[in-house]
Amino acid sequence: MNWKTCIVSLCFATSVLAGDDFKSANALYDAGKFANAAAVYETIQPKTAAVLFNLGNAHFRQEELGRAVLDYERARQLAPGDPDILANLRFAEERLGVADLNVPARPVARFWKSVTVSRTIRQWSAWVVSGVWVIMLLVAGAIWWPRWRTGLVIVAVVAGIGLALAVAALTDRVVSVPPAIVLARRAEARFAPLPDATVHFQLGEGTKVLIREDRGQWWLVERCDGQQGWIKADVAERVF
Amino acid sequence: MRVAIFIVSLLLTAPLFADVSVSATVDQAHVAFGEAVTLTINVNGSHSNPQVGFPRIDGLNIAGPSVNTSMSWVNGQTSQSVALTYQVAATRTGEFTIPSLDVNVAGKVYKTEPIKLVVDKPGTQAGMQDTLFAKVRLNSQQLYLGQTAPLDVIVFARGNLPVRGISGFSAEADGLGYKYNGNVKSGPQTINGVAYNLYVIEGAISPTHTGTLNFGPCVIKAQLTAQSRNRTIFDEMMGRVEVREVPVTLDVVPIEVQPLPAADRPADFSGAIGQWNIEYTAKPTEVAVGDPITVTIKVTGNGNIANVPALGLTGLDNFKAYDPSSKTTASELNTTGERVFQQVLIANDIAVKEIPAVRLSFFDPVAKAYKTITQGPLPVTINPGTAGHSAIVTGTQRARPSEKLGQDIVYLKGALGTAPLPVFFGTPGFWALNLLPVLGLACALAWKRRQDRLAGDMAYARRSRAARNARKQLANATTPEHVQRVLQKYFGDRLNIPTSGITGAIVEERGLPAAAREVFDACDAARFAGAATDMTALKQKVEQVIDELENVHR
Repeated sequence: MNWKTCIVSLCFATSVLAGDDFKSANALYDAGKFANAAAVYETIQPKTAAVLFNLGNAHFRQEELGRAVLDYERARQLAPGDPDILANLRFAEERLGVADLNVPARPVARFWKSVTVSRTIRQWSAWVVSGVWVIMLLVAGAIWWPRWRTGLVIVAVVAGIGLALAVAALTDRVVSVPPAIVLARRAEARFAPLPDATVHFQLGEGTKVLIREDRGQWWLVERCDGQQGWIKADVAERVF
Repeated sequence: MRVAIFIVSLLLTAPLFADVSVSATVDQAHVAFGEAVTLTINVNGSHSNPQVGFPRIDGLNIAGPSVNTSMSWVNGQTSQSVALTYQVAATRTGEFTIPSLDVNVAGKVYKTEPIKLVVDKPGTQAGMQDTLFAKVRLNSQQLYLGQTAPLDVIVFARGNLPVRGISGFSAEADGLGYKYNGNVKSGPQTINGVAYNLYVIEGAISPTHTGTLNFGPCVIKAQLTAQSRNRTIFDEMMGRVEVREVPVTLDVVPIEVQPLPAADRPADFSGAIGQWNIEYTAKPTEVAVGDPITVTIKVTGNGNIANVPALGLTGLDNFKAYDPSSKTTASELNTTGERVFQQVLIANDIAVKEIPAVRLSFFDPVAKAYKTITQGPLPVTINPGTAGHSAIVTGTQRARPSEKLGQDIVYLKGALGTAPLPVFFGTPGFWALNLLPVLGLACALAWKRRQDRLAGDMAYARRSRAARNARKQLANATTPEHVQRVLQKYFGDRLNIPTSGITGAIVEERGLPAAAREVFDACDAARFAGAATDMTALKQKVEQVIDELENVHR
């Protein structure tokens, strides 16, 4: 048995075991034992979008809405186009009253954000690679077949715009500031990373923030409306 | 020349402009309510546009300014001034002070003196009390909080008085929620045998707090026509007359506003005040089980219809009830209104004999008491349906009622799904896949360029193929003659010259490697003298020549 066979066998065994745990967790959920179901979901490796989604549901049923938002956000990172994940995330955010706070206030920024998060980094990478190939082939075609040059150049320009957008979206996703979700019922964002510093604004459970600076126990976070303040790191958890 | 003298004079007198003075004046310090006061700020000695900072003055509205600049030149002395004119109107009677104002002239701030202003209750023009006067028409001077009552201001003008119309109206009505209709109604009326023309400004009040509230004073500006003393023949022909505005004043009318009485207040009272009636109908009154009955409840009357609550039917256990709809219409001043509620009911059982009664509790400000009116129950006859008397029609042809959908999270996912794939971005594979088409295109372009050159440039084509062809033919050469021919062909291709005429002399002519001369000599000796020749050594020498030429003369 060579090493490739070993890896394939290991993956298969892992997936079989994970599948069993997944089914048993779903059964616990159906029995109304949401805490037990959540505990089993937590142990499943690797964490697929379905596992994170179901974990979010289990937390939701236990009224841990902030943690449910966190799980749905993590699931969305893996499957951004999944309508179930988006629906539950939106529903949990609305229940917490943070749905409008978790999206950028300006329409253009909101639209761009919706575009960038609609694909995973891997998908945007594939778009970029495909775009480069398509454009190179179109350029080659325009050189080799002068008769079709005008049409091919127009298509290449359109493809170039698409490629530029894909590169911009990929860059946005790759270099974006890591997000976090507030898990505490109410958190205070202060002007300085000091316990007695003046409170700048309040953050409710489930609020999405961007971690601008990490100083261990304190994070400088930015809300989607641009307000920045220091919060204690233990009131929120990173999405990834 | 004159212009030059004028400019020189201006320059000479320029220092005089430095003496700037600022003053503020009003055309009258004691006015009646409704009259406007003209405030003028004069800036002497400067031609620049002054900036005036006005603080907010409670009870005064200030509009403007209009700017008037003037310059005079008398006996060689030039003077300039700027006048800012404002219109000041009081929104209530009393004493006001226009404080010291900051006037910024060319960057320097000057202050004006404070001005006192007294606004009195208006008085009717002397001599016109009997011919032109105004009155308030109000059903009662005792109102209840939340009540909407009509309040009309009526101008009485003697029949022979040439009143053209009403051109302005202002009234003080703090806390009364007063609003009026701008379209003045007019008509004749005889009072005590005297003919009058009446001009009615319809309005309504809806007090916002309790206590004694004042309506007025009011000023109504009546337009009177008069024959002009300087009337021309054209005025006669065109029927032009002179119009004069005469203020008609109205004194304060006190209005007592009381809270709604707490005693005898019905449990289902929800704020409706007025005099209301209910019409309650159902159509049709005889249906089969499953057929709809449209119930209409129409509330009409005097008062603010907005305060009338939605009338819902209760006790509809034997009915399938759809959400009611309502339509409200009200007069412009909200003194009368109508609200129609409609609801579709479907009887579930033939045992249903009536539609429950409907009731409305309200406070009647005229009777000064709470009232409850009840209409119904309405008798109906329910016949058995086609599918038995308990059937309920659920046909799709009926209008689908609006339904409130429940909301909850989406249920669990049943499939585990695939494990997240490793990040592709930034890996060598990602960069390789991106670079590959770029490099491929570059190579393809280079290749195409070479092909194009080979096709169009014969010398280049021969030169580029010379070494390869020579080596191939050399490998197959078996005699010195063959070797010599290979070398001739190589030089012909390499130098783009005819092959046939190439001899050993070309070596010196073109500066070729000396070994080539040796090859030619050896081949000639073998061909013509029959000298023995080492073919291997000869071929190696040719190879040496080709290598040297390719490396050096590339």
